[in-house]
Amino acid sequence: MAAFEYRQAEELKSALALHGVRYLFIGKAGAIILGFPDTTQDADLFVERSPENNRRLAAALAALGFDLSPEQADEIGRGKDFIQLRNGPFDVDLVFAPDGIESFGQAWGRRVEVEGYPVCHLDDIIASKEAANRVRDREVLPRLRSFREYWMKKQR
Amino acid sequence: MNSMRGSSVDAAEWERDFAAAAGRSLEVRFKYAFIHTYKPVLDDSPFRAFDTIEEYRNWCEANLPDWLGYGRV
Repeated sequence: MAAFEYRQAEELKSALALHGVRYLFIGKAGAIILGFPDTTQDADLFVERSPENNRRLAAALAALGFDLSPEQADEIGRGKDFIQLRNGPFDVDLVFAPDGIESFGQAWGRRVEVEGYPVCHLDDIIASKEAANRVRDREVLPRLRSFREYWMKKQR
Repeated sequence: MNSMRGSSVDAAEWERDFAAAAGRSLEVRFKYAFIHTYKPVLDDSPFRAFDTIEEYRNWCEANLPDWLGYGRV
């Protein structure tokens, strides 16, 4: 598997828009789209959990070339909390219930759009990492908080 | 990158990094940011689904090497 490329991100964005999927980039991928200089391996998508949105998501992923069995499409359709996909043109993690964020609706209301990419606000990305509290989150948080200060100043 | 320390020296260095990144296009930022290295166990299955985040976190702690950093502090 090669790294997630900009071209693939554009295809992902287009496919999700075409199918009317409500989602947000979250995690380090989201922070990177907001300008955070760091590295990551996959795209993390926070997806609104509803039967219709889940079905649209599965259809969009199939259109992008993800090789989903009927059982796997069904698991996406059910909106399981966390789904890891390594069976498509790039790696993607689907998160329906990220740590530290109360609801998709609230995160959606605070979202930031960057060149058509819907992204969680940095406060939500940070809150999610604080709540997850893994070693890898602890490592990145000081720099991410510093970036938030820089980014907020630029937003004014 | 000394992301663990968060000292004032780091902060100045980080701010220079942030400013440099802000001058790059999104396409270039993608090129620099998204990398791929094999992650044992994690990358060995084409599909995994977990009913709850707690279940996923427990699975990571039980199955992934510690050095990947997926364990909770």
